[in-house]
Amino acid sequence: MITLLKNAKVIDPANHKDGVVQDIYIRDGRIIAKPADSEKIGQVHDLNGKIVMAGAIDMHSHIGGGKVNIARMLLPEYQAMRRLEEPEAHICGANCSHHATPNTTDTGMRYIEMGYTAAFEPAILAVNARQAHMEMGDTPMIDKGGYAMLGNDDYFLRLLSQNADQKTINDYVAWTLHATQTIGIKVVNPGGISAFKFNERRQDLDQQHSHYHITPRRILQALSRAVNEIGIAKPLHVHCNNLGVAGNFQTTLDTMGASDGLPMHLTHIQFHSYGTEGDKKFSSAAANIAEAINSNKHITADVGQILFGQTVTASGDNMMQHLNAKVANPKKSVIMDIECDAGCGVVPFKYRDQNYVNALQWAIGLEVFLSVDDPWRVFLTTDHPNGAPFTSYPHLIRLLMDKTFRNDAFDKLNLDAQAMSNLKSLDREYSLYEIATMTRSAPAKLIGLQDRGHLGVGAAADITVYTDQADKEAMFAKPDLVFKDGELVVKEGKVVKVVWGATHTAKPAFDVGVEKDIKQYFDRYHTMQMNNFKISNDHIAEDGRNHVINHAQG
Amino acid sequence: MTNQQDSMHACPACGLLCDDISGDAIARQQFSCGKAAKFYARVSTGAQPQIAGRAASLTDAVAAAVAVLKQANTPLVAGSSTDVHGARALVRLAQQTGSAMTHMNASSTLRNMKVLQHRGWQTTTLTEVRNRADVILMIGTDVVTHNTRFFDRIVWVDDAMFTDPAARKIIYLGGDKLSTKPGVSPDGRAPEVIACAAEHLPEVVATLRALVMDKPVTAASVAGIAVSTLKTLADTLKAAKYATLVWVSKDLHYDHAELTIENITETVVALNQKSRAMGLSLGGSDGDTSVNYAHTWLNGVIIDAPEWESHDAVVWVNSYSPDAMPPAGTGPVIVLGAPDSQFDATPAVFIPVATPGLDCNGQQFRVDGSVTLPLTAAKPSDLPTLSQVVALIEAQLQGDLA
Ligand code: SF4
Ligand SMILES: [Zn+2]
Ligand SMILES: [Zn+2]
Repeated sequence: MITLLKNAKVIDPANHKDGVVQDIYIRDGRIIAKPADSEKIGQVHDLNGKIVMAGAIDMHSHIGGGKVNIARMLLPEYQAMRRLEEPEAHICGANCSHHATPNTTDTGMRYIEMGYTAAFEPAILAVNARQAHMEMGDTPMIDKGGYAMLGNDDYFLRLLSQNADQKTINDYVAWTLHATQTIGIKVVNPGGISAFKFNERRQDLDQQHSHYHITPRRILQALSRAVNEIGIAKPLHVHCNNLGVAGNFQTTLDTMGASDGLPMHLTHIQFHSYGTEGDKKFSSAAANIAEAINSNKHITADVGQILFGQTVTASGDNMMQHLNAKVANPKKSVIMDIECDAGCGVVPFKYRDQNYVNALQWAIGLEVFLSVDDPWRVFLTTDHPNGAPFTSYPHLIRLLMDKTFRNDAFDKLNLDAQAMSNLKSLDREYSLYEIATMTRSAPAKLIGLQDRGHLGVGAAADITVYTDQADKEAMFAKPDLVFKDGELVVKEGKVVKVVWGATHTAKPAFDVGVEKDIKQYFDRYHTMQMNNFKISNDHIAEDGRNHVINHAQG
Repeated sequence: MTNQQDSMHACPACGLLCDDISGDAIARQQFSCGKAAKFYARVSTGAQPQIAGRAASLTDAVAAAVAVLKQANTPLVAGSSTDVHGARALVRLAQQTGSAMTHMNASSTLRNMKVLQHRGWQTTTLTEVRNRADVILMIGTDVVTHNTRFFDRIVWVDDAMFTDPAARKIIYLGGDKLSTKPGVSPDGRAPEVIACAAEHLPEVVATLRALVMDKPVTAASVAGIAVSTLKTLADTLKAAKYATLVWVSKDLHYDHAELTIENITETVVALNQKSRAMGLSLGGSDGDTSVNYAHTWLNGVIIDAPEWESHDAVVWVNSYSPDAMPPAGTGPVIVLGAPDSQFDATPAVFIPVATPGLDCNGQQFRVDGSVTLPLTAAKPSDLPTLSQVVALIEAQLQGDLA
């Protein structure tokens, strides 16, 4: 059956279309060229010039896995809010939630209601990947995928400290992608999570790890090179050293140089753009960071915008979260060392607009957004749930598109923070085309999803239809229609059909000989068999709903 | 790359989930662990659905279960001894029937959850302990009563990356009827045993925490333990490279034991200001971690506490504990469970289902929470899985509604 979207006003940066009115034809979940007149059209939606974009892709959102579930457990406070915030129209699970720790059903529902058709879990602990996939498998409506964390695992640090050749490292990295069913590689506080286990409290970029005697810079070099040489699309995803520390912008700038010009993605860069100026020794270094992004074309970044309210931060960075636990609100936190593989830290936060630091964090994020020139290299994230729940994206989009709205919000901030920000001097307002770039075309390109994030012939028919409105928050909160793989799944912001999506992976070729040594390591030091560490396609598809879509690389 | 189905199985009989059980060991019934031996000796053949004790077809038994559920106003899903797949099915069934859902280990699970939800904690996992722990303090427990092979698999191992395993310091603090022999090192070094009855642990652990925090303690002894002994213990923990403080919630079964657990975890928090230490909660299974975790990600909340009085029907799942049944007087009971179930009181409906890791494949969380392992059918049978039976019940409930 062919579905026709008539008179669509297409905003599709990947195909350089900015408001072209055209018809879109869909068959078997794909966008097709205009069929012959003789072919029967099953379903017609006359869009009368409504805005049409590809489904949005969240390239960094903590939607599944150990620390996300710990965050759910940690905050029964949220349960009191259950059902109270029920918006007017949607299907929900029994315990409907719209806050920072949604259950898996609600995660999928809230995303699709906003026109998002995919989300990527950016911090899959390799050893915990099975759980992450179980949770993502129970997340309906959207496609999923993840980045596996390396760079603090003892296997890799041993390799590096023993001067293993790059080929061995490449093979191990590729093996990890296969074993964990992921599509990218992330490093969190390179070397720092491991150093914390040896009682170190900070790990600087050029400081030797106290046990392995290698630097984070060396870790970044080896991993960025591996990712590049095995040929996956997604650049190394980097959560820099010194998360959240005043003055950390210098580490961030230095980190940009650590890959010797190879592509790197710096994540939640807002949390890494802090200076030490002013009475409070905490200032915005967004201008320096944005300038560096503008001039370093090998760097991409997502922002990790904070928005005010209660949330919970869930990070692999147990070293820095252990420090942050002192300012937890409510006052509780979970810090874990995990399996000689990684760690995690879950710390609830309440960001308040009258708090100097929080107010400035808010401004810093927006300064970065508005000062990075190229929307292909900066991504719209709140680092859900760390900066704010992903459900606040429509609000964030309005902050970017509407200067008056933004400045009104700025005027309500802590006055000392206002004095330390140049936000009001930034006149830029994002266009719909730029929003479509940073939420559709660019993430698809970055991750290597050739057939997503655009509306060209052959693309998957993940499509969102909006009514253009002056209030961009209202516009992006409630699309008119959302199609997932060609099926109409949302009407007027309400889910009309439940679908399950797929899991996207990258499985580059590698020398399986590397497994011999990995197996020895497991047998000598681990508490499970290597074979049980590996996740098969069958396990992803176990409950008959999910399936793996592997993306050919290179 | 596929998961080669090699001959090793993961044993779901306790929370340790040892995944080195060979098909050969199962065939010969040779195990270094009594719990595993008992588990793999179970026989599933010949089990048949029953209605009120009389043999019935699966279709009729499902219809009978549906009839019970439809008459109930406040059903309860309980026992919940199963794996992740079973947990998913039970959560769906509970949602569809408006049931509360609990687990046969709910009281020990919720004891830990109270601490987590009140203050959080700082914990570690088995591979970290295996490779780093130089001091292991077990509080109110010998561990091995629950996790038989803990010392073989984690403590007295041949190799560790960052410590000499044979040189580890093992300390038992309090507890009843402990078996401390497994704490003797391979070269014959005896563990330190600081004895007190479990019921005195609240004061003893509170004192230890105070000493670790350098707070003044004026008493000379607590529950018969010299404070100087506890001071030495506090100093040992502070000097350790990676102190591991172990508790088993089930062994702390006195009133307000969560306060003792919180004192353990807050001792760890205090130690981590200057040195490195971590908590480790052991024990567990009947899939308790899996069920609580899956319930949490599917519902956003942890499992419920059992309140037997307020329910007028119970769906009981006892896959890993064939002897376990709800308290007498609760009912009517629908058992979807172990084919070798033992009943004191005949349930309204009994549908034998495959036990994950014995009759069928599955996935189970280890007690430390970060690791999930595939379970493989050690002795495949053609019993339906819990998910399949629940799907039949759901289909009929839905059909009847339509
Ligand atoms: S210790 Fe536990 S998991 Fe290991 S074999 Fe014994 S019962 Fe099974
Ligand atoms: Zn809802
Ligand atoms: Zn993140």
